[in-house]
Amino acid sequence: MSQQKMTRREFVKTNAIAATATAAGITIPGMKEVLAASEDTIRWDKAPCRFCGTGCSVLVGTQNGRIVATQGDPDAPVNRGLNCIKGYFLSKIMYGKDRLTKPLLRKTNGQYDKEGEFTEVSWDEAFDVMAEKWKAAMANDMQANKGKPADQLTSTVGMFGSGQWTVFEGYAASKLMKAGFRSNHIDPNARHCMASAVGGFIRGFGSDEPMGCYDDLEHADAFVLWGSNMAEMHPILWTRITDTRLTKPGCEVHVLSTFEHRCFDLADNGMVFTPQTDLAILNYIANYIIQNKAYNQDFIDKHTNFKKTPTDIGYGLRPEHPLEKAKTGTGGKLSDITFAEYAKSIESYTLDYAHEISGVPKENLLRLAKLYADPDKKITSLWTMGFNQHTRGVWANGLMYNVHLLTGKISQPGNGPFSLTGQPSACGTAREVGTFSHRLPADYVVNKKEHRDLAEKIWELPEGTVPGKVGYHAVLQNRMLKDGKLNAYWVMCNNNMQAAANLNEETLPGYRNPDNFIVVSDPYPTVTAMAADLILPTAMWTEKEGAYGNAERRTQFWRQQVNAPGEAKSDLWQLMEFAKRFKMEEVWPADLLAKSPEYKGKTLFNVLFENGYVNQFKKQTVMDDRGNKYANDEMDAFGFYPQKGLFEEYRRFQHEGPKKGHELADFDTYHQVRGLRWPVINGKETLWRYAEGYDPYVKKGEGIRFYGNKDGRANIITAPYEPAAESPDAEYDLWLSTGRVLEHWHSGTMTRRVPELYRAFPDAVVFMHPDDAKKRGLRRGMSARIVSRRGEIEAQVETRGRNRPPVGLVFVPWFDAGRLINKLTLDATDPLSKETDYKKCAIKILKA
Amino acid sequence: MSEYNICGVLIHAQQQHLEQIKQLLISQQGVEVHAVSKDGRLVVTVEDASRKQVADKIMKFHELQGVLSAAMIYQFSDEHSANNELTKSKSGEERMSA
Repeated sequence: MSQQKMTRREFVKTNAIAATATAAGITIPGMKEVLAASEDTIRWDKAPCRFCGTGCSVLVGTQNGRIVATQGDPDAPVNRGLNCIKGYFLSKIMYGKDRLTKPLLRKTNGQYDKEGEFTEVSWDEAFDVMAEKWKAAMANDMQANKGKPADQLTSTVGMFGSGQWTVFEGYAASKLMKAGFRSNHIDPNARHCMASAVGGFIRGFGSDEPMGCYDDLEHADAFVLWGSNMAEMHPILWTRITDTRLTKPGCEVHVLSTFEHRCFDLADNGMVFTPQTDLAILNYIANYIIQNKAYNQDFIDKHTNFKKTPTDIGYGLRPEHPLEKAKTGTGGKLSDITFAEYAKSIESYTLDYAHEISGVPKENLLRLAKLYADPDKKITSLWTMGFNQHTRGVWANGLMYNVHLLTGKISQPGNGPFSLTGQPSACGTAREVGTFSHRLPADYVVNKKEHRDLAEKIWELPEGTVPGKVGYHAVLQNRMLKDGKLNAYWVMCNNNMQAAANLNEETLPGYRNPDNFIVVSDPYPTVTAMAADLILPTAMWTEKEGAYGNAERRTQFWRQQVNAPGEAKSDLWQLMEFAKRFKMEEVWPADLLAKSPEYKGKTLFNVLFENGYVNQFKKQTVMDDRGNKYANDEMDAFGFYPQKGLFEEYRRFQHEGPKKGHELADFDTYHQVRGLRWPVINGKETLWRYAEGYDPYVKKGEGIRFYGNKDGRANIITAPYEPAAESPDAEYDLWLSTGRVLEHWHSGTMTRRVPELYRAFPDAVVFMHPDDAKKRGLRRGMSARIVSRRGEIEAQVETRGRNRPPVGLVFVPWFDAGRLINKLTLDATDPLSKETDYKKCAIKILKA
Repeated sequence: MSEYNICGVLIHAQQQHLEQIKQLLISQQGVEVHAVSKDGRLVVTVEDASRKQVADKIMKFHELQGVLSAAMIYQFSDEHSANNELTKSKSGEERMSA
């Protein structure tokens, strides 16, 4: 070992100790001097973590064109120098051995063939074949749409996008689909995780996303987790809660779940409830507050309305399903009621009833209700998929808001309901840019003419370009693929073959339908990619310049740190470059084009991206404040700064329309700061929305104003308990819940390629109660068959460890491509949000 | 060629278990405790020639009795020198031709 190498190792080690000591708030004498005397050959720059919705900032260390080190960003307000195990291995997710580096097309004898073998092709050939399929689909659409007004247009072109897209990518995709291909059949995988939260926000407050922020984690006196395993899924936020719990006198943590998990270790009041009965528990708490006159009358009078919603609305299944035929109500149209009528509607939710239906001991329920009712306790309620992946998910979100609104515990430091997200840009891209089948950027929607008018004005398109009919949502896309009504389909930045429910009956038949051409863009050969007809190799994370928006409304940017391998290209490049393949005459009918004759003979790329606005930002050197220079492959390719142009055009939606409160700062600012929480007005971020003194849209003397709704009031919406779509019976006698584990993120595309994480938790197991195992002749470590009405898998039995289900329920993580649990799950959705309930279906377990 | 891997890990321990956890940590090869605060924070490094060994040790920190959290702060791995060809092989022209 050379002397030089020793020195370098010592230097790295000293850095590791210094960084860790700083994060711990401990000073180790002499450290600074040693580091100051040496020169770091690693280039460090900030980037938000690639994984969950927490939005931790990491410092990425690059040397010789490769990422060699990472550290928690000490200047980041979110994570303050800490990272969880997933973030820690970020430097390795791009270097999996099976990275895709060339486009792959299914071919037989040199020709495209849906039943052929994947064969390497050039980008040119890939886009040639793809464009031919798109043009054929759009020719059919133009025929079918002859003479139809904008709100009746149909399309056979679709796209399934992502809450992991950068803001720029989501915006470009939405514009390409809605303005270019004139199809609203674009939906993100965020439909599977956040749609119910969105529905709850819009119905309650008229504006999406939380009013509070992570600062609540230090301000609150008590935390209540409703269907969220933060210890494993949001470890850094859990660390902050742990700190508060251990240092603030009187602080309490309450945890509700359908099985015990790691969060129960910290819980003062842990509660395991029967699936779906969270609805009853929430109504019990509201009823307790009313019966004990613990509500805040002044707040209610000034800031709320009471509403009711239609009930017995079905389960979002195919219309011929018996459950859909049996329903008596439909939709979510709200109607006015009085406070007295509201109180009456929930008076049957007594302690006895809540206990009986949920199985939670009375003393635990009472303790929880008393906590919410205590005027002196500041409470932050947190949830993730437990509420959202729920056939009554919008209701569950709303019932939670009811409790906070009745007591006025909202929009104040430490007081508020907080919906957490699972993806790094579920908020920033999917929700804020609006890459859903019903949305346009900045909370605008396609089925309102004045909203489409705004989009057409900003995009400089003739009136009637953007279709007005809501497109196919995620679950419907798979059904329409199977039924042959969606024929040209592009999947980007997600693994939906593994993620979507009811794989056997819907997803796979849809992808393999001979009428359809399926394109999947991904860095790795996922199960979705393997089910496609064309795979496009994709640049990931810091191989491109990017922006994400996290769960607390914080927008964060990063610069391109390294080059993508081989011919892999970013989603942004793919979307923009593909637009060059289309003449306007091939995508728009003559009568529309006649309204903008200047677009004749142009390409979609010219009209959408080289439109004078997006391309006004010239090619430049990307440089940090220390003088380091960075590549930008898309800028090199297109000759202008596409990320900046798209972002600045997107901001116009926040400034030029009637809706206020979503404003972001300008592009350049975000490259300098550790993110800002919107609305950003005059360079200042907003910590608590709707609250005087914090939110610039609330005038002096108003105190609180829920300005997303025209009357400035939030809606308290009554809704009852209704049963799950499928419950255990004599034959299928167990509940199945699915979810994640700490070491893996979502479908495991990235984390399963990091050897350390794979070793820590190599294969999905079935977590079950020892008595349930015994009853079926099974023991820990034995192989079991898990069977539902739709499919089956085999997995090892786990009766100990981190997840401890009660008798009657099993939990199976979904990261494992070798054990696809979504063969078993039911594609029942919330009829309002169209989000799938992955937490409840009936199964049986047999000895393998 | 031997690899060099190092992690800086911040462990937050319950105070009553602090001394015991510290002893358990330093008894492991490649694990050092550089500082301990009164409220239960330990500044720990883990070094090894094998990335897997390092990761396995860190994953096990979570399981120790009295450990509330084990957060990753700093990670470095010098295996890159063996794999440099991946980035070198990609020429500038290739990227410009897009």
